[in-house]
Amino acid sequence: MPNGKIVALKVLVWIACLYPVLSLVYRAVFTSLGPDPTHTITFATGLATIRLLVISLAITPLRRLSPRLSWLIRFRRLLGLFAFFYASLHLLTYLGLYSYFDVKLMSADILKRRYITAGVTAWLLLLPLALTSTRWSIRKLGKRWQKLHRLVYVAAILGVIHFWWLVKPGVRTPLSITMILGVLLLARPLTTWIGNRRRMAQPRVPSSV
Amino acid sequence: MVIPWAGYSLSEFINQCEPLGSAKYVQFLSLADAKQMPGIRQVSLNWPYSEGLRMDEAMHPLTLLTLGLYGDLLPNQDGAPVRIVVPWKYGFKSAKSIVTVRFVASQPPTAWNDSAPQEYGFYSNVNPDVDHPRWSQKSERRIGEPFYKQRRTTLKFNGYADQVARLYSGMDLRKNF
Repeated sequence: MPNGKIVALKVLVWIACLYPVLSLVYRAVFTSLGPDPTHTITFATGLATIRLLVISLAITPLRRLSPRLSWLIRFRRLLGLFAFFYASLHLLTYLGLYSYFDVKLMSADILKRRYITAGVTAWLLLLPLALTSTRWSIRKLGKRWQKLHRLVYVAAILGVIHFWWLVKPGVRTPLSITMILGVLLLARPLTTWIGNRRRMAQPRVPSSV
Repeated sequence: MVIPWAGYSLSEFINQCEPLGSAKYVQFLSLADAKQMPGIRQVSLNWPYSEGLRMDEAMHPLTLLTLGLYGDLLPNQDGAPVRIVVPWKYGFKSAKSIVTVRFVASQPPTAWNDSAPQEYGFYSNVNPDVDHPRWSQKSERRIGEPFYKQRRTTLKFNGYADQVARLYSGMDLRKNF
């Protein structure tokens, strides 16, 4: 894909990624955030986080399916960092609007309410990933960068667990994103396996023929 | 939220019923009609929803047999056509859409207590000193307040201590939560 088209696509992706937060700002200023603004903001930012994480996790499986899609890699960091952005807004909303920065209240919550334990842990796992997202870090860390960034799988799974643990018994809202994440997580070993089978099936041709 | 309910004291209704002296508790059974309430088909609580009060709690003037709110009749989701409101207890005690009232000799089963007895007791008085096993009850967010000052300290008996504390004098409210 030519560079010009990628730049144009990146502009669109930026706008799409900014839409959730801009929508919240618009509603806060011009219309309404509903009867419980804290909940509205928390839910919108949380949803944006898990959706962006899952979309970023779709990139590698798609690239493996077709070499023509290899340019997608140039969007993975953008999506991952936006996921961290919304995760941080989500955490900040919990700290500020929900707990009013009351340290006693928050430590009781983090220790006692397991969905908050899971959520805070997921954010803590995303933090080093965001901090090492630069080209400098990739160069400096080399092979270790790959290993470190596997934490994104743990963070995404913890995020989905956080979602299930916070909804009331009987509520199935987290189901669709869980299934999509499940497919994407399975897609990696599956595409590796398919790739290996393809390579094994091809006859090895000596270069001198 | 702080709601202006409309109704009259349940005690007036109970007096009209003339319960026997052996009646120690009042049980409330709610409507469980799958046609109007499709969520009932899902596995969650035991339906019909059951709640109960000790006779002295039911006869307390603050226990409201409720028919409306904000000057209008109760909407379906708020417990139409008639519900009770017990303002010093956690919300799930205020049973909605009541169709049966029973006067019973022993403590009746209640929906949430059946579902999670270690989390929901029979009395369920608002009590900041007794935590729910999975979360603290020390503070609350009052919806309707500006969102930058919603959180406030929870009051014992939801602020009705002067009116109802005597009902529980001598009782261990940690055991009888």
